[in-house]
Amino acid sequence: MNRLTEYGVIIFAWITGIILIGAIGVLLSFLLYKGIPALNLSMIFGETGTLDALLLRKTVVDGLFPAIAGTILLIITSIIWAIPVGVASGIYLAEYCNVSWKPLFNFLLDVLAGIPSILVGLFGFAISIFLHRHLSEHIYPCFLISSLALACLVLPYIIRTTEQSLGNLPFSVKTTGLALGASRLQNILFILIPYNLSSIISGIILAIGRCAEDTAVIMLTGVVAMAGIPTSVLSQYEAIPFYIFYISSDYNSQEELIKGFGASIILLGICVFLFTLSNILKKKVAIRFAIHK
Amino acid sequence: MPYTNRKFTPMKETKIKIEGLNCYYQRKMVLKGCQGVFEENAITTIIGPSGVGKTTFLMVLNRLYELIPNCRVAGKVEIRLNSRYVDIHSLPLATLRKKVGMVFQVPNPLPMSIFKNVAFPLRLSGVKDRKYLEEKVKEVLKDAILWDEVKDRLEDSALKLSGGQQQRLCIARAMITQPDVLLLDEPTSSLDREAGLKIEELLAGLKERCTLIIVSHYADLTRRISDSVVTLKDGRFQEHGNSP
Repeated sequence: MNRLTEYGVIIFAWITGIILIGAIGVLLSFLLYKGIPALNLSMIFGETGTLDALLLRKTVVDGLFPAIAGTILLIITSIIWAIPVGVASGIYLAEYCNVSWKPLFNFLLDVLAGIPSILVGLFGFAISIFLHRHLSEHIYPCFLISSLALACLVLPYIIRTTEQSLGNLPFSVKTTGLALGASRLQNILFILIPYNLSSIISGIILAIGRCAEDTAVIMLTGVVAMAGIPTSVLSQYEAIPFYIFYISSDYNSQEELIKGFGASIILLGICVFLFTLSNILKKKVAIRFAIHK
Repeated sequence: MPYTNRKFTPMKETKIKIEGLNCYYQRKMVLKGCQGVFEENAITTIIGPSGVGKTTFLMVLNRLYELIPNCRVAGKVEIRLNSRYVDIHSLPLATLRKKVGMVFQVPNPLPMSIFKNVAFPLRLSGVKDRKYLEEKVKEVLKDAILWDEVKDRLEDSALKLSGGQQQRLCIARAMITQPDVLLLDEPTSSLDREAGLKIEELLAGLKERCTLIIVSHYADLTRRISDSVVTLKDGRFQEHGNSP
């Protein structure tokens, strides 16, 4: 009976694995089949010359270039906001937080992780209205608000991975520096962070994926169609996820819909590019510090 | 049999004095009124059953216990520094931990090169002179009987060394600040016999420079290199005698 159960579990695991891989395969194949015919330079740069567009000498008005640039800039800026706050919070929870306060902070973190992105978007929108009324009339939903709202959305990923990776270290490793006379801060900066850099980067990779795909947040906080490349943090901008949403819900011809599929492939490409970059960094870090966990 | 009914006969200056030391994990009392003294420039081994508080005792001596949530200590622990006894709780933490170094059961080299590992404590103290660092690193690696094995690969990751080499590196790293006391928590238990013997040889040589307090499960280690042996049982030092 036990053996039969074991075989059953193995077969079940195989089937679920195959279903998962199959689903991803079907999804990607469908996307590539539909989107590849739309992929060409004019889809990205429109009538503008490639070099002129890349060097920002001319504005692209009929291509996806501003949306691609907006998406990449948005991801990078959001991650730049989220990393210091997320890593510092993770370190606080793992190293400094009072044991009796920890459950409360963990609960709040779970709440933050569970907040629907549309609510984060609404919060960002409310902030922009507040700032518009009380600080400056020039502040509207913009790139800065979007990036901050997205940073809030991805914070739990970075906080959790940092906290867990630090928390899982053996006591002897955690106290190595302290036993040698290092202060708590020196121990964190010179030992714990290098030791956990690989895990922290894993959290950042997750955050990048979340930043790239989220539409609800940016829709309420600054993204618009035809805004061009953002010229300042207070300007509005274009982004691929919004373009995909917009075109798929309001297309006028089959050609436009196919363009949406093409944009999806580009978004996927941006994610793959950023994931690969992060993974290379992660591997380099792992080799450099030869983490033996 | 080997450690019973031996009288404690201090031959040298006392380095550490313990009086009425209690240690609690939450409400559980781990150390119950420990009393005793540890001689200077001698190897004292603490033996006892698992979970009796041997490692906790070591962590009290350099106040690493403060990092364990809900761990409290009461009682007096004094260390002799510059010819006078000072309560360890009155010393700044960094000073205490430079004076009372610790080596753990499992070797824990830092994720950096062999050179940087050994030089790490000096760098923490703000030493930047590369030449001075090189001299000190060479000196302690020679003391740790490791220099000949690593002199050509000081820039290699310390994590590439074997377990025994890593443990000797950790001892060298702890010795570079010239501690007065070196605490070793079962330093040979994770190593094979050959590597263990090398560590023993190294420790026997180190006692001229500092006081060594070793926690060990192995009676043969304590017999071979210890000057005195303490048994910790039921939270108290039960015996305190000189090793053969």
